[in-house]
Amino acid sequence: MGHPSVERRRVLAAAVLGRTGAVPGADPGDEEPLRAVVGEVLDVSPHLITIETPGGVQERLVIAPWATAWNGSDTTPGDLSVGSMVLMRTLRDGRVVERIWADTTRITGTILSITGKKDLTVELDCGPHRGHRSVVIPYRASGRLQVRHPQFEPGYLFDAIGIRRDGASLALLPATSQPPYPARSVPPPPPAYAGTLSRIAGTATWSDTFDEEERGAAYPMLERTDTGCPKTGVSCAGLPYLAVGSLLQVRNVCSNRSANVPVVACGCMAGRFCDRCVECDTSPRGRIAELSPSSYVELGGELIKGCFNAQIGLG
Amino acid sequence: MTLVLESQLPLLIVMLTLGTVAKVRTVGSGGEPGALSRLGPAVLVPGRMQAPALLVCAAGELVLAAGLLVSTHPFFRWGTVAFFAMSTYVLLELRRRRPDAGCGCFGEVSSAPVGWRSIGRTVALTGLAAVSVWSPVTGWAAAAGWVIAGPPPWYAAAGVALLALLSPEIEELIDRVRYRAPCEQRHGPAESVTLSKLRSSGTWRAHHQDLVSAEPYDSWRELCWRFFAFRNHEDDDVVFAVYLSGRRPAVRMAVVSREGSDSLPDYIPVSA
Repeated sequence: MGHPSVERRRVLAAAVLGRTGAVPGADPGDEEPLRAVVGEVLDVSPHLITIETPGGVQERLVIAPWATAWNGSDTTPGDLSVGSMVLMRTLRDGRVVERIWADTTRITGTILSITGKKDLTVELDCGPHRGHRSVVIPYRASGRLQVRHPQFEPGYLFDAIGIRRDGASLALLPATSQPPYPARSVPPPPPAYAGTLSRIAGTATWSDTFDEEERGAAYPMLERTDTGCPKTGVSCAGLPYLAVGSLLQVRNVCSNRSANVPVVACGCMAGRFCDRCVECDTSPRGRIAELSPSSYVELGGELIKGCFNAQIGLG
Repeated sequence: MTLVLESQLPLLIVMLTLGTVAKVRTVGSGGEPGALSRLGPAVLVPGRMQAPALLVCAAGELVLAAGLLVSTHPFFRWGTVAFFAMSTYVLLELRRRRPDAGCGCFGEVSSAPVGWRSIGRTVALTGLAAVSVWSPVTGWAAAAGWVIAGPPPWYAAAGVALLALLSPEIEELIDRVRYRAPCEQRHGPAESVTLSKLRSSGTWRAHHQDLVSAEPYDSWRELCWRFFAFRNHEDDDVVFAVYLSGRRPAVRMAVVSREGSDSLPDYIPVSA
């Protein structure tokens, strides 16, 4: 079934059950709000960066003196090359940049094949919506990746962070410790007590398969018939069923920020991972949401770390 | 003396039938891929043979149960003894080769690793089957005798108590009832089932003549509710919410005008 108007679902559900309609976006808290800004670099100097947003608008932003950048390795903002796609974490309504990630990508999927001797080429199945993806692991990164992926063979899961260069994806950093089971046998959730908790904890990750400036999340526990995704509805975290269009309240336990994020896609790949996040403490097992990069950064997440400890509730 | 010989037959028949039903249900429900590979004698055979192996086992049990019920033929009597004796050997072998696998005696309920209790149970069942070999009457006649001639003798009850003591499945079932997943975490009924429940509700009968079409244009599930969205003749949205558990679930409806924000909530909680 298609989604005639998933925005509308929220209004209708709120009306029929008498809920108060929540709005998407960050909760105003004590912290200074963060904004993610996406664009292509037109010009960069140590103190000023000019970008063109996906909407075609040119923007000039001030680079804070403490700002840092990442383009495969840590660098200074002034060394970024013109033409790269950047995602920036900004303060003061998107005028002051404090962190820049250039050409950053994340490759999450099930290993289909591994070829090559020095530089490895890995073919991945990234789920029914995202298709297959091929990724290159340069020789200098392969040791670091394989030590966190002990089952480096077809049928097992793969999750890495890297950069896009000349149309190819290079995997550089492991994004998680690989789960020890094959992708098709996800452990069952722990037995639940009747009378559920209002908040569920686990790990929240990001994925770059969203539109560039989209704010949203992919959620693993959706009904298969509603989404047309035969692999969804699997999770080891004991999640409640939601629909595409539901509003998810995500709280970053590490940075103490929270936001309402709409569910926009089926997180069939996220549901296969029964891993933990150790960003600020050890989270319970299971990925509870896969956020778009902009939502992830606005919640205070660090792209190259790959996850943050999160709690979710229904917005 | 003859009462002792026949006293365990009904119990054996019930055990064999329960085993059949549970195994067929486990194969039928499918579950997650790989679930069968953690169950019972099935782990000792290759992947694609696992479901057929479980079904063959279930069919064997059914044949033995039916034979014990209606006939006194020694084939079924000795067959039952042989079946339980072989099960004891298989469980010992399973425990040695795959200590992580469950016995699968009662399908996926028996997914706890094989312990001495499961093995003790098959030994006890072998003993009970051996006692019943020389019973002069069929299982049916033995059970009917209890109904006519008064309550079953104490040694029948002792057999039940012994098996209950040796069954880890009973604790598992109690745990499942106590820690049942809340409705929002359970797999819901099919959309068509919920739609037919909606159509048999009073709320639907009161409002269905206003709708343009009897088929919803959108349907989705959130937590324990399934929502169906329709259009009415004024081109407003009519949305029904149906609770997913219960035989006659709660149904709520609201009419929401299509002009954006000003909704006309019109909740009618119906105890239909």
